[in-house]
Amino acid sequence: MENVKSYWLIFAGLTIMLILSLGGGLWGAEQSIGHWTGKLFEKVCHQDPLRSFKFNTVPMAVNSRCFGIFSGLWVGWLIIPFFIHLTFKKVWINWILLFAVMLQIIDYMGNHLMWENNNTSRAVLGLLLGIAVSVFLSDLFQIKIKKGES
Amino acid sequence: MNEDENTQELSFGDYLPSIGIVGVIFSLVSFVIGLFFGYQQINAEPTGSIMSPMMFSGIVICLVSALAGLLAVWHFTREVTPFMTLGQGALIGFLTGAVIVLVSVVLNELWILLIDPEYTTKIMDATIANIETMEMPEESKQQMIDAMADSMGEGQTIWRQIFWGVPVTGLLNLLSGLIGVKIFGEKKEETF
Repeated sequence: MENVKSYWLIFAGLTIMLILSLGGGLWGAEQSIGHWTGKLFEKVCHQDPLRSFKFNTVPMAVNSRCFGIFSGLWVGWLIIPFFIHLTFKKVWINWILLFAVMLQIIDYMGNHLMWENNNTSRAVLGLLLGIAVSVFLSDLFQIKIKKGES
Repeated sequence: MNEDENTQELSFGDYLPSIGIVGVIFSLVSFVIGLFFGYQQINAEPTGSIMSPMMFSGIVICLVSALAGLLAVWHFTREVTPFMTLGQGALIGFLTGAVIVLVSVVLNELWILLIDPEYTTKIMDATIANIETMEMPEESKQQMIDAMADSMGEGQTIWRQIFWGVPVTGLLNLLSGLIGVKIFGEKKEETF
């Protein structure tokens, strides 16, 4: 595996981000918005308590889709060391990322026109996007095979 | 671009134009979008809908600003060198996110200081009015209102906003910077 130090640094960052996204409930606060965990995410998430999972009965610091994305990034990052050992051609990882992005757009539009999504569906779609991004980046950690080696 | 340029050591000054230009453009875009939806919220009748203009603005700003790292890397590959390492992409992405937070916080403060000192109060009043017309238990409404008042209250100094804003925005842009490295970057030809 290449760029091992960067891999672990980013993994640490993603782990901290995922834990802090659980919000004020983890720290005994009564709410996440206004709590320091909420302030951390207020520039990247609309933090609607009605569209967020609860942790210790307190809405998380991010909504369900963002929590899904953060979880997906973390899970995807965790599997990168195993994923890069797969030998088959990985052209499809580009398509999976594109598909995951399209799914978010379709779900967002459809929610206004045809169906009503919920916390679980938003989190699952976010999870797919997060995993797709991490897996897409897996090439950056793959050791180049020298010419002539198999 | 000749081979010498590709192999020479890069200084921080080589990264700065990409980080600065893309960071400032994206913070301007975020600021304008925020203001646009902010005044829409202020001038709208409270509907009780979850998807208020401010809520929509949050989603758009998040999507727009998360792409800045990717575009900063694209700019770097066009203007400096197409040969990039993962670390360079991560650095460009993170710092671009930091610039976005820094400049957009300063622009917001300038707007409040010079153009519309009542902006925060008006936004808060409009948002509270919207929450009050939502169909939900009174207790939940009160919690939302209290939380929002805390969040938008007086304790939000420029430095606090920057301190809380940079880490997550930086990390997300770091990731989009890495996507940029994969899409736009080239690996140096190696001879074996």
